[in-house]
Amino acid sequence: MIVEYYRPETLKQASELIARAEPLTLPLAGGTTLSRQGQNPAVQVAVVDMQRLGLNEIRKENGLLMIGAAVTLQHLADHELTPAALAHSIRQEVGLNARNQASVGGMLVSCDGRSPFVTTLLALDPRLVWYNEEETQTLGDYLALRGKARLDSTRGRLMTEIRVLLNAKLRYEAVARSPLDRPIVCAASAQWPSGRSRLTLGGWGNAPILALDGPEAGGAAAAARNAYIHAEDTWASAEYRSATASRLAQRLFSNAEAQEESL
Amino acid sequence: MKILLLINGNSLEIDALPGTTLLDALRHEGYFGVKFGGCQKGECGACTVLLDGKAVNSCSMLAAQAEGHAISTIEAVGQHPDQGWKKTEGLSVLQQAFVDSGAVQCGYCTPAMILAAQSLLAREANPTEQQVREAFSGILCRCTAYLKPIQAVLRAAAILRGEYVPPINGQAGERSMPAPDWPTGAPESPLNEDGSDTLMTQTSLRLMPKIVTTPQSSQLTTVGHPERKVDAVKLVQGKPAFTDDVQMRGMLIAKVLHSPVAHARIKRIDASKARALPGVAAVLTWQDIPRVVYSTAGQSDPIPGPLDSFSLDHKVRFVGDRVAFVAADTEAIAEQALKLIEVEYEELPRVIDPTQSMQPGAPVLHDEPEYVPFADCDPQHNLAARIRIDIGSVDHGFAEADLIFEDDFEVPKVQQVHIEPHIAITYWDEDDRLVIRTSTQVPFHARRILAPVLGLPIKRIRVIKPRIGGGFGGKQEVLMEDVAAHLTIATRRPVRYEYTREEEFIAARARHPMRIHMKTGVKRDGTITANEMIVLSDTGAYGCHALTVTGNTGQKSMALYVGDGAYRLSPNIRFYADVVYTNTPPAGAYRGYGVPQGYWAVERQMEKIARELHLDPIAFRLKNAVRAGELHPFSTSWSEGRAPKPEIIHTVGLEECVRQGRAAIGWDEKFGNSGWHTVNGKPALRRGVGVALMMQGTAIPYLDMGGASLKMNDDGSFNLLVGATDLGTGSDTVLAQMAAEVLGVPIEDMLVYSSDTDFTPFDKGAYASSTTYISGTAAVHAAQQVAERIRLRAARMLNDQGGGGNVTAEEISLAGRKAIAPDGRSVTLAEVAHDALHYTEQEQIMAVASYVSPVAPPPFAAQFAEVTVDIETGAVTVDKLVMAVDAGVIVNPLTASGQIEGGMGQALGYAVSEEMMYDAEGRARERDLVDYHIFRAPEMPELQALFVETYEPSHPFGVKAVAEIPMDGVAPAVGNAIYDACQAEIMVNPATPERVWRAIRKAAADQEKTA
Repeated sequence: MIVEYYRPETLKQASELIARAEPLTLPLAGGTTLSRQGQNPAVQVAVVDMQRLGLNEIRKENGLLMIGAAVTLQHLADHELTPAALAHSIRQEVGLNARNQASVGGMLVSCDGRSPFVTTLLALDPRLVWYNEEETQTLGDYLALRGKARLDSTRGRLMTEIRVLLNAKLRYEAVARSPLDRPIVCAASAQWPSGRSRLTLGGWGNAPILALDGPEAGGAAAAARNAYIHAEDTWASAEYRSATASRLAQRLFSNAEAQEESL
Repeated sequence: MKILLLINGNSLEIDALPGTTLLDALRHEGYFGVKFGGCQKGECGACTVLLDGKAVNSCSMLAAQAEGHAISTIEAVGQHPDQGWKKTEGLSVLQQAFVDSGAVQCGYCTPAMILAAQSLLAREANPTEQQVREAFSGILCRCTAYLKPIQAVLRAAAILRGEYVPPINGQAGERSMPAPDWPTGAPESPLNEDGSDTLMTQTSLRLMPKIVTTPQSSQLTTVGHPERKVDAVKLVQGKPAFTDDVQMRGMLIAKVLHSPVAHARIKRIDASKARALPGVAAVLTWQDIPRVVYSTAGQSDPIPGPLDSFSLDHKVRFVGDRVAFVAADTEAIAEQALKLIEVEYEELPRVIDPTQSMQPGAPVLHDEPEYVPFADCDPQHNLAARIRIDIGSVDHGFAEADLIFEDDFEVPKVQQVHIEPHIAITYWDEDDRLVIRTSTQVPFHARRILAPVLGLPIKRIRVIKPRIGGGFGGKQEVLMEDVAAHLTIATRRPVRYEYTREEEFIAARARHPMRIHMKTGVKRDGTITANEMIVLSDTGAYGCHALTVTGNTGQKSMALYVGDGAYRLSPNIRFYADVVYTNTPPAGAYRGYGVPQGYWAVERQMEKIARELHLDPIAFRLKNAVRAGELHPFSTSWSEGRAPKPEIIHTVGLEECVRQGRAAIGWDEKFGNSGWHTVNGKPALRRGVGVALMMQGTAIPYLDMGGASLKMNDDGSFNLLVGATDLGTGSDTVLAQMAAEVLGVPIEDMLVYSSDTDFTPFDKGAYASSTTYISGTAAVHAAQQVAERIRLRAARMLNDQGGGGNVTAEEISLAGRKAIAPDGRSVTLAEVAHDALHYTEQEQIMAVASYVSPVAPPPFAAQFAEVTVDIETGAVTVDKLVMAVDAGVIVNPLTASGQIEGGMGQALGYAVSEEMMYDAEGRARERDLVDYHIFRAPEMPELQALFVETYEPSHPFGVKAVAEIPMDGVAPAVGNAIYDACQAEIMVNPATPERVWRAIRKAAADQEKTA
């Protein structure tokens, strides 16, 4: 149950609120997850609305796309610098209403493994910027450390920005029961001019995972197969996921241009 | 906390808790156009408002977040143009386009769609179809498949751009042709925003379906015309028309404690802590209310099924079963109280798998002494119903066959997903009568069934059915009205109980899952000599609809193929079914009522036989299909609740349906064309085309009755009161059209009200595809009686006036709001009414009529599907669905095509994405509309509805049913198209990627073995 609501004007004010031990105080961006805690008396939280903190902007700096943590998914999808595959994955994530509300930061905090957007974003190896923390953090590290305690994972911390390198070629493939259903298997690839290649997988588990990060794409199909060798749940067998992830990886890296066009 | 909201340009300060959602705040302030769809994650979008011009879910944001932003709701969009002495600008162009285009069915999501479209048109004056689909992507609609709403937006956009848009008037074009298109400036094949064509459809902008007409229907002036729905104007304004759109002083919120275990006795239950919680008005357990056994199935008396339910019991039989009821001042207090109820369960062995249900030693679900069996049910062996039907000499037929085909099929449990959840509000009125305001398809059955449960005589219960936000059979159940009613009795206060979406999944009803064995004997020339279906149907924990749903599985689907030649005269058909209890949520009524299950097996079986025998799949089907003038093979063997009587099928438009459908899908260019099956540049993709033929039923003969009353007003308008329940289908409109046709008035002179057990005549309710046929006949008969009174009076008035020879009543015709003599003299109906009410031989011209049908004339249809299969991943994309339907004369082309389009969209989920799964402990996998995926606007394939009219002689205007048949054929047509694409035999629907992937691998392995 949400017991307190704040709308601070500065990051400092927000940070001080979030740093409180009691009650649990969480940043509120779009509200698509937190607002639904309203009727649950077992969870007493305070929320800090981020809408006045200047975190709603996207800009380009030194070849990086700097995405404010409170930028909405639709804002990012519509932005001219957003890679087509990333925009496509956003449209696969949720319908327009939720895209107009949900923030990029909030999505990273609350996503599970079936998120097309986070799977695709993870391929770009973005870095997360936290208020008053010197070091940035990779999204991969954050998701790995986040575990299943999604809302608790930001306790005392305030994500302010997501930084994405823009010089990679990004692609996305997915298999689902229907075109806009949550994916059973999805895969995204990023390739930089240097040859560096990353492959991420989604459609299963607590968070999307990194299957490959190497100087070139060789072995991507095998990496995908291995990464999902135990990816079993009630939605699909591990055998199917493993084989399909491998197939998607092959497609992403073997016919890159065609795939990019198809998005 | 104080929150300052800017709503529709008006500032409003509210006092709300920090956690109050914008949805709750708006509805509390009376903005009832903002709906609650029950969802937990904002997935349904019924609560859409515009925030600074953008569509958002008001359920998923705090009211406090909205401070400082402009909130727009449907209440500010437009209004009725004529409000007495005050004239307004009327409806907005968008609202009017929704009305004109038939885009409103149940209307529950309509305000959301209009707001989303308004947001789109504000930034894009010339949207593509794909952009409109994207604008709707956050809103779920279960009625329309989005087609007509999309067309409405494109139409409105063209009007707003100042382009000429032809009105949708008169008959359906030339009635055998589509209505003319209009220019919109939009490209014919719009691309996705990202330039791809993966989601591209080519929705025609033509609103009117193609109708191949009968001569009899061409003379009609109102019937057969695309009249605007009588409820559309209020629904596009978001008027407070639904059950929950009222506020009552002192109203309590009800919540139910659901069982966490699948099978247990309640050893101890202690509600004292919950009762002590401030704000809690009542907590009821099984110890607090009378123990009355009943059935929740909303059916006519006697209910054709076991009585095996209690409002509360000391035993729970599925995860989600009821344990206790709470009524409290607020939802939060009610939720908190649920957590304070202490329950000690003695867990019992459970049976989740229906194949284990009747095994020796299986746990018995219903060991209560009050159990009242029906027919062949045997609760000691978990048997809720048993059916054994043998027509002809089946074994002899098998012996005469050249080949026997046998296979096993399986269909899943699926949910109706009406966007308005189940909701009831109960209160004592000033006469101490219990009023139940509920979103039900069966108000009269609800009253009859609830009376003993509540300990009240029927006369002390009044059931009011406001607008229904979709039902699809899910509300043909007296599911939860008793919860609120018991709590009102306990507290003497109004009580509101509304399901959440999770409750819809764990504690409502669903389509029966079935395992079906088919055995078919065939001659080498394709003549079917015998056909057998053996069904194991899973009714879940209670037997509501167990017998009748499963009976329809055979009665409809196995009746279509009778065989040819001598077999046609004496078909050999066997249908056996066991309907068993399991510790899972109960199954019940769902649009199609058992028939989609049957057609999955029958039509997949027919396809396999045709392929195996190298016969044309369509010719093979038509060779064996039932024809006009033949006996319905099941009519002498089985009927719902009454003794069966032989019934001749007089009208069968199946061959013409096939002809029209195959042309529309391009069957002859695609079927067997190896070049078409592959996709240039995409080696993993294969295309396929498939077909399925179907017959359904129209009403239940000798059993279900509909009534209508008609009253003439001073101005020549009429109040048409019907007990029938329009759940969004447009039945109020078509009933009004038929009555208006008889009376010679436009439909706007018919004021339709449905339904209220105090004021409207009895009607069985909305189910069994019966309203247009049964209730419609009642309305026509009432209109004919009223017309007779009008003619008598008009003849006397004309004779009194002089100026011509005397006329008799029989010579008077009614047209154009006048009673007209053969010589052209006339009096207006207003003059007739005025005379009757105020002057001569005063009388209230009115009539009541009712109707029970001796027959159930089946509609027929041909369903075609086109798919693309990714043979490496098993992913299936359904590209196009075409359905050609013989539903008799089409009363309203817009509402009828809306039924077909929406039905195909709903059935599409059954084909590829929808299923409800349970773990070994009986816990549901699907609890929201994220995991249970129904199609959204951007992914819906191209849909086309066609009609082939026949003139059914048993109805005054020749109509048959239209609402249920679109559920039947999509899944098997898609299954057959998948086979056509890649030779993958899908025996279990839905055709999920893994199932298809495995079937492809099996086909390849089989082929390798053969080679």
